[in-house]
Amino acid sequence: MTPIVQIRELTRVYQQGEIDVTALDNISLDIPDGDFVALMGPSGSGKSTLLHIMAGIDRPTRGSCVVRGVDVAKLSETELAEWRNHHIGFVFQTFNLIPVLTAFENVEMPLLLTGLTASERRAHVEAALELVGLKDRMHHQPRQLSGGQEQRVAIARALVTDPTLIVADEPTGNLDAKSATEVLNLLVALNRDAGKTIIMVTHDPKAAAHARRVLHLEKGELLKDEETPR
Amino acid sequence: MTIAGFILRNALRNKRRLTLTILSVSLSLFLFTTLQTALRELTQPPSTSDSALRLITRHRVSLANVLPEKYQYRIQQVPGVEVVSKFTWFGGIYQDEKNFFPQFAVEPEKIFRIFTEAKVDPLELDAFIKERTACIVGIKTMERFGWKIGDRITLRGTIWDCNPELVIRGVYREGIDETNLFFHHDYFNELMNDLGVTGTFWLRVRDEAAVQPVIDAIDASFRNSDAETKTETERAFQLGFVSMFGNIKMLIGSISTVIVFTMVLVTASTMSMAIRERMRELAVLKAIGFNGRQVFSLILAESFGLAMAGGLLGCVGAWALFSNIDVYKATQGFFIKFDVTPHILASGLLLAGLLGAISCIAPAWASIRMSVVTGLKETD
Repeated sequence: MTPIVQIRELTRVYQQGEIDVTALDNISLDIPDGDFVALMGPSGSGKSTLLHIMAGIDRPTRGSCVVRGVDVAKLSETELAEWRNHHIGFVFQTFNLIPVLTAFENVEMPLLLTGLTASERRAHVEAALELVGLKDRMHHQPRQLSGGQEQRVAIARALVTDPTLIVADEPTGNLDAKSATEVLNLLVALNRDAGKTIIMVTHDPKAAAHARRVLHLEKGELLKDEETPR
Repeated sequence: MTIAGFILRNALRNKRRLTLTILSVSLSLFLFTTLQTALRELTQPPSTSDSALRLITRHRVSLANVLPEKYQYRIQQVPGVEVVSKFTWFGGIYQDEKNFFPQFAVEPEKIFRIFTEAKVDPLELDAFIKERTACIVGIKTMERFGWKIGDRITLRGTIWDCNPELVIRGVYREGIDETNLFFHHDYFNELMNDLGVTGTFWLRVRDEAAVQPVIDAIDASFRNSDAETKTETERAFQLGFVSMFGNIKMLIGSISTVIVFTMVLVTASTMSMAIRERMRELAVLKAIGFNGRQVFSLILAESFGLAMAGGLLGCVGAWALFSNIDVYKATQGFFIKFDVTPHILASGLLLAGLLGAISCIAPAWASIRMSVVTGLKETD
């Protein structure tokens, strides 16, 4: 498969007061189109930082991160925002739905930045909610949904622009076991049936087992890159 | 959903805070509008083409000093002067001190040749002129005390040691202050044992071109006399009269500044709280593709809308209130009119809009500068 993400000699150093903290140290990797990758590691291993750089919400100190031919570190803030709208779908641990909007409106938000008409947006949003099994709840506000349902709405929001990458940061971290399984099964289905490339950060080996490939990080270094048994 | 709809939802998310903020802004704008209207009424009395032709000659030292009656003949001889009337502030009390209204001793056959814009029934004017103890009263004062033509009233002198007993022979309307009472200067003189003085002279000149030459000629005529004069236009005279209250412009300006500053603090505080508790949501908006300019626009629109809602409520509320109450009665005759002009309304709304924009700059700037990663770490 063609690499959709190419990372070369990537280093990210944070400044904490007068101390430099290396979050990522000289990492290189490729992620092919249609892959489902889990990033694992203990706290402070750099997995979230790596995800953030691939998603264009953080910048490397050195090295490059090329997503579908674009070196995201070289884009301006405005270009990066537009690039994220087209190429990245976010799924967060705490769902991060906007509480004053309905499920439909939350999913519609990224589409407000596109040139789609209201009827085109409606069709896209309904399709995304149908895909996550929540079309019947589209007029509910987040507080009227369970945690699992909120996360599925967040997945629909991530999907609705048909992005190049779906990035998920601990997507099951705030869910009970049943809801977590539902969300993971949904991500697997999106990868398997819709060919979506998914990169997921997780602490949980059971969640990571749903991915095709697991990258282990520790102290900012890539320790292990392994295929999961199917 | 539209972006405008999203902004509205955000604004409405904390209804109690929204209501209190809008009320604070509206109250401030109401006070601002009221003060500006009061300032206008005090410093810019209505000016008509007739009033532009009226001049007042008074003692150069102060209004409290009187002029000799005999000056009238020399003033009348100045080229360009059409008519001159003695005009003395009586300042008496009708029954009770709280019943204040202006009273003047004037020359009855001349006064409405000077105040040409006032409307008087010719028969009533004739009756006023012919009877030595007659008076003519503005419609507002007539209505205020429920007077009718033929009623007898007594004024108790406070400045002058006399108590004129007057009979109402006429009513005038429109054009000039409708609260005045005019009575005969001759009767006043008689009561004062021919004192031979007048408070001021009011005169009407032929045309606007004659205004300045007449002013110069009159004042030059009495220079180096015992009672030097100061002649000025009606408008200048009224502004000078207002300045006797002190520096009203500065006082009202200072209060308005405090009001504006309070509004900035209230709105800025609300917007800071609203944005602070939404940092994570703003970070999510950025993550899904909103750029800094778009996020700034969302915050600006919300703040602007909030301030404008308060502004509309306060300014239009002031306009509606003062259009529907009798300000003359409410202020016991202090203000005759209280017109919230389109200019004052526009100033209030412009101020509200500016404050809405200014008060959100700091929190909006902070949200723009905030990185998405930092914003996502914010706790609810």
